[in-house]
Amino acid sequence: MRDDERSTEFVAFTRAHRTDLVRTATLLCAGDEAFAEDVVQTTLTRLYLSWSRVRRADSALAYARRSLTHAFIDEARRAHRRRETTLADPANALAVEPATPGSDPELREIVLSALASLGPRQRAVVVLRHWHDLDVAETAKALGCSPGTVKSQNARALAHLRDVLGAADHDLILEVS
Amino acid sequence: MAPAHDLKRVLQSAAETHRPAVDPADDLARAQTAARARTRRRFRAGLAGVATVAVLAVGAVVVTDRDQPAAPGQAQGADHGTGHGTGTGTGHGIELVSKRLDATPYTFDLTPKGWAVQGQDEFGVTIAPTDGSVSDSPYDFEGKLVIMFDPRPPGGRPVDLDGRRFWITGDSGYTTISTRTLPGEPDGAVRIQYPDDTGWTEDTMLAFTASVHVGPGAQHGVG
Repeated sequence: MRDDERSTEFVAFTRAHRTDLVRTATLLCAGDEAFAEDVVQTTLTRLYLSWSRVRRADSALAYARRSLTHAFIDEARRAHRRRETTLADPANALAVEPATPGSDPELREIVLSALASLGPRQRAVVVLRHWHDLDVAETAKALGCSPGTVKSQNARALAHLRDVLGAADHDLILEVS
Repeated sequence: MAPAHDLKRVLQSAAETHRPAVDPADDLARAQTAARARTRRRFRAGLAGVATVAVLAVGAVVVTDRDQPAAPGQAQGADHGTGHGTGTGTGHGIELVSKRLDATPYTFDLTPKGWAVQGQDEFGVTIAPTDGSVSDSPYDFEGKLVIMFDPRPPGGRPVDLDGRRFWITGDSGYTTISTRTLPGEPDGAVRIQYPDDTGWTEDTMLAFTASVHVGPGAQHGVG
């Protein structure tokens, strides 16, 4: 495959799907926009380097989302190692958010804070399962773990989100798919 | 009464971002720089590899699979027991060398040439090609082998090889081969997920899966 052909396809793909990837990264990174942008840039670079795989994928966007999730988990582990000595218990960080529910911006802040208090893999499970609507098997394959792990991580994550949203006077309705 | 929200809508709301659009040309320039850097790395690695191959060629028994890469979960010949003879490389398939690969608590009697352990813990192993075509992160599984230890019984299409039963499943670009652990090893099933487009055939996947040993300290994946 010629480089100019790859570049043309890459630019077209990026123009069409970058916003989608940024939105997914925003959830994975719990609203940390700089972190999300880093993850998206890393992902796009990896996609370019393995563009033949992108072309062969059944869905280039689905492939890109999986790559994005991997890049996020990778970066989150590194970031955790960098930050773990300076951050307080993330669960406690929820308490400092003044929750005055009723508006979407408030809800957004509460949800992002709740996501931030999940571990990276739990957050990835929530995003893949409930934002991208992957089933348990697809999520397990994307994360390289067993379906049982996905189920248990998902259950814990949802219980936590329910607790947090409930404490902020929001109820969360979970539709089983 | 508290307002109620479904999770999808809540995530939709949280995913909204008002950042300005980025010019794809910036992403392209960044990616092309990375591609050039990789080409330089591969060139240097190639020079080193010539010397390494010369050393490995002495004394190593090479197990070669003559078949073309398999489609997901597709059988390739009835005699799965003939893959351990000596032979010559096809240039496309995976070559299994009779050399111990250590990823404690997991060990392998065979080593896929051009692949190396990238990450390991009590729950599993990640093995990646060494040609720089995949991520350096052991937590990124694209294009790599993922070895998992699972309490669940294996499932899929059964294949018998040398008196041992294996189960094969395949979809979404990956083939997974499972087998029960050997007597004396921790009880459970070993699963190895193989990417379909990297030269592994059913025979080489079966041979490599058969070579895994699960040692003390291995733990099942949670779930």
